[in-house]
Amino acid sequence: MTRSVASAWPIAALAVAALATAAMLDESALSVYVLLTLTASVTVGVTLLMGHAGQVSLGHGAFYAAGAYAAGLLAKHGFPTWGALLVAPIAAAGIAAAVGIPLLILRGHHLAFATLALHLIFLSLISELSITGGDVGLQAIPSLAFAGITFGSVRDYAYLSASALVLIVLLAQNLLASRPGRALRALSSSEVAAASSGIAVGHYKLAVFALSAGFAGLAGGIYAFYMGYLAPGSFPVVLSIEYIVMAAVGGLGKVSGALAGSALVFLLVHGLSRIATLSGMPGTAPIILSYAVYAVLLIGAVLFLPGGLVAFIAARRNLRARPERTVQPSTPAASDSASSAVASKRGSYS
Amino acid sequence: MSAFISYLVHGISVGCGFALVASGIIIIYRVTRVVNLAQGMFSVVAGFAAATLLGVGLPHGLAELGAIGLAAAVGVATGCVAIAKPGTSPQASLIATLGVGIFAYAVEILGWGDQPRSFSGLSGAYEFWGIDVPKQYLLVTLVTFVVFGGLEAFFERTYTGKALSACASNPYAARLQGIGVLRMGLYGFALGGALGGVAGVLLTPLQPISYDSDVSLFVNGFASAILAGLKRPVLGLVGGLVLGIAESMVAGYAKASYQSSLALLLTLAILVAQATRREALHAVEE
Repeated sequence: MTRSVASAWPIAALAVAALATAAMLDESALSVYVLLTLTASVTVGVTLLMGHAGQVSLGHGAFYAAGAYAAGLLAKHGFPTWGALLVAPIAAAGIAAAVGIPLLILRGHHLAFATLALHLIFLSLISELSITGGDVGLQAIPSLAFAGITFGSVRDYAYLSASALVLIVLLAQNLLASRPGRALRALSSSEVAAASSGIAVGHYKLAVFALSAGFAGLAGGIYAFYMGYLAPGSFPVVLSIEYIVMAAVGGLGKVSGALAGSALVFLLVHGLSRIATLSGMPGTAPIILSYAVYAVLLIGAVLFLPGGLVAFIAARRNLRARPERTVQPSTPAASDSASSAVASKRGSYS
Repeated sequence: MSAFISYLVHGISVGCGFALVASGIIIIYRVTRVVNLAQGMFSVVAGFAAATLLGVGLPHGLAELGAIGLAAAVGVATGCVAIAKPGTSPQASLIATLGVGIFAYAVEILGWGDQPRSFSGLSGAYEFWGIDVPKQYLLVTLVTFVVFGGLEAFFERTYTGKALSACASNPYAARLQGIGVLRMGLYGFALGGALGGVAGVLLTPLQPISYDSDVSLFVNGFASAILAGLKRPVLGLVGGLVLGIAESMVAGYAKASYQSSLALLLTLAILVAQATRREALHAVEE
């Protein structure tokens, strides 16, 4: 692989599909679609961080919130709204870079705790400070306007968030196909080996951390303009965990996995909570169902699909394709090789 | 001065609760190398269960014991999910315990609703030198010290305790000695669940708990465990007391909403300092 640019076709197809979906859905489905694309945008960053830099982050909801609050605050104080949206990812990435310098020394469960702590501290900050409106939050954030066009309808925001997702996927794919991407793959399997091959492990980890925070910040900025109001309650700790569920279900480290995982989990949870609100069930039914789904998917993915959905489907396809090519592949042997592939994948987790 | 003493008393009893959570985290971590993100959940389950058992007319004592037993059983179930599948890496187990914690949210809301719950513990207060010390605070402190005494005896004086320590220090060598590492891991989870349960039944009368109280319980427990270096459960008592008193002072003299952020920042600073020192050691070794 000497090319440093990812194949253009899948991304072009994604762009067409994402924008066409935004054009075709009706109003009520569009509001789901906007949130889905924003969630997927964050998940792409989380999967890069977890799958390639080998870091568990339980705090990406904080970067999403940071982007949202940065955009909301600037827009409310008379900054041009498009400028505020541009600042959102930069602010989130800047915060990540600043806290990442001390925190990324930590590994494994220490880093997981540190990022969780980050999220909690950020929540307590925004609910304490008067500039962020405390627990009430920011109200009446103006609509996004760019070059005379005002983003007023849900469909406008659906186009915007779909475009942001395509941009993020493009960035992520090209990053993985480039020299830094190979460096990241090396450091995810062994930091020591990567370091001894001349890879600046610390710099790359910090860069991915900041980049994934930037993705989250951009999504958060769009969220701020789309919702028009922000409050600490919109960014609970569970939000950070949702991204991990989605990344794990799709398969850590794979951009396509992040897209498939976030679409599957988001639509499943959303569909179930819609059913739960319909049929005269108690008011807590939607939240119970969504927690149960997140939990079951997370545990199932971590224990039984270590490579995620995408790897599982690919392995199944290989299994089915193999009998035509090879002479006598008895099923146990074939599944053995598949499971050893999965096992070697799992090795890259730790 | 009397304000200081009452903050101190409050800090000690809260710190005892942290210490119980911390000791559960430490024991599970020592035996299985898994940081149990569901540790706070054990306390929540026990607190809810005790409230329910008291509600159906069980006397104090029996209800709390039943709740602690339930927490221990939940601990074993968590352990089964986290470590029973062979070849699960500690990081995968960490995320699995996170999944168990989220699943518990669903069960807790289903069983007990999403509103905070509480039950009354010991009422009244003793007066020492003009300062009122609520009886429940004394009970929390007393029970915690008894539990830690028991833990120390268990790890030092019984074969099971020794086997748990053996798994903690070298799982491979422990297996060669015929110790079932998985079984010991599940014992660790059971003990961790029971300790979390003790914290839950003691703290719920002081402060109502809701299903998502587990985050702050875990964070404070883990902070105490970090202060103790994740080494011996008894050190968790020191960590918990330091943290509890520090938070109580901040809440008393500064602002209550700063206390958890302060604890988190303190813990982060300690973690980073420890990691930096370890890096330096590695550099010397290499």
